[in-house]
Amino acid sequence: MSKSIEAMWKQGFVDEGELSVPKVNDLYNQKSQNIVDKLQAMFALNIKAIIIGCGVMFIVMTMIGAPLLGGYICLLVSPLIYIAKRELSKSYDLSKGQSSLDYLQNFDLWLKSSIAAYGAYYRVAYPLLYLGMVTQAIMSQAGHKVLALCLTQLPTDYVLFDVPYYLWLVILLVFVVVVRYSEAIYRFDLNVVYGRQFKKLEEIIADMRELKGV
Amino acid sequence: MGSDFYQQSILPYAGIIIKICRAYTHNHADFEDYYQEVCLQIWRSRANFNKQAKWSTWVYKVALNVCLTHLKQHKRGRGRFASDALSELEFDEVKAFDSDEINQLYNAIKHLSEIDRAVILLYLEEKSYAEIAEIIGASSNSIGVRVSRIKERINKIIHQMG
Repeated sequence: MSKSIEAMWKQGFVDEGELSVPKVNDLYNQKSQNIVDKLQAMFALNIKAIIIGCGVMFIVMTMIGAPLLGGYICLLVSPLIYIAKRELSKSYDLSKGQSSLDYLQNFDLWLKSSIAAYGAYYRVAYPLLYLGMVTQAIMSQAGHKVLALCLTQLPTDYVLFDVPYYLWLVILLVFVVVVRYSEAIYRFDLNVVYGRQFKKLEEIIADMRELKGV
Repeated sequence: MGSDFYQQSILPYAGIIIKICRAYTHNHADFEDYYQEVCLQIWRSRANFNKQAKWSTWVYKVALNVCLTHLKQHKRGRGRFASDALSELEFDEVKAFDSDEINQLYNAIKHLSEIDRAVILLYLEEKSYAEIAEIIGASSNSIGVRVSRIKERINKIIHQMG
């Protein structure tokens, strides 16, 4: 090799004006679409996971002698599947014919309204799930043994459905906590799974707004 | 970021951004992505710029950081960029580098480790050893030796490529 690398470099870029910056037409749309596609794919996968999980749950519950609780959980989850499918189809209907910023903002609005719809469902579903589990626990053989042990250790005349009053107080206290925090639990859950994507979406929207001086 | 910031603070350094991005990418689509991401990160991080330092040094730093970060993500299969707010700006058509020698040199540079690529690019851009050290966060004593070693390696690779 006759030439030094310094000379090759210098002569290769004699006229820096010849270095043209990339054309990035449509990249914006592509990338905006990327994050939307990713979130939609995650939501669709989530629906499948719920349906499969529901089936598995029913089988497992039946195997451990709690088919009623299994059926009850499936019944509880069916509205969730309906809500999830309905919400996801709404997102597919968002118009793509607008500017990328408008599209992403609409997607973000849809996301927030979906989260609100899920939140309303979980506010009811978690307490009902808890009540189902308590009922199953009281009715099961293991539950009877625990109740008998409680009554032996801490006898009382205040008993309802074979459950001493102090256990009812605990059950009630936990129920109040579940009612109070059911939506918070859902939102925490949501952030664990989708948090990174949501943050990314917010960043993109913030960047675009700043870019456009909105 | 408005067009003004782009025109005044990025465009004069577009050449070096292109040179750096090209050393870290293997196809045109990635090259465009990296270029845009570098521009965006320069804009985003403008508030962190220390006014006592040179703006060009800052641009080098950001460009290399973006390329190295995204290269790592790409290797882990997560090579997506966080944002794309720049793309509504209209840029000129990209031109391929015509020079065979430059293409050859770039091919050799791509055989180097990520950090060595950064060092040699800065050296070829006539940055002082102290500046190179500052940009890549190394001690300036080691840069001279490193540059010599890298140059030897590049010459060897070019020779092997024929």
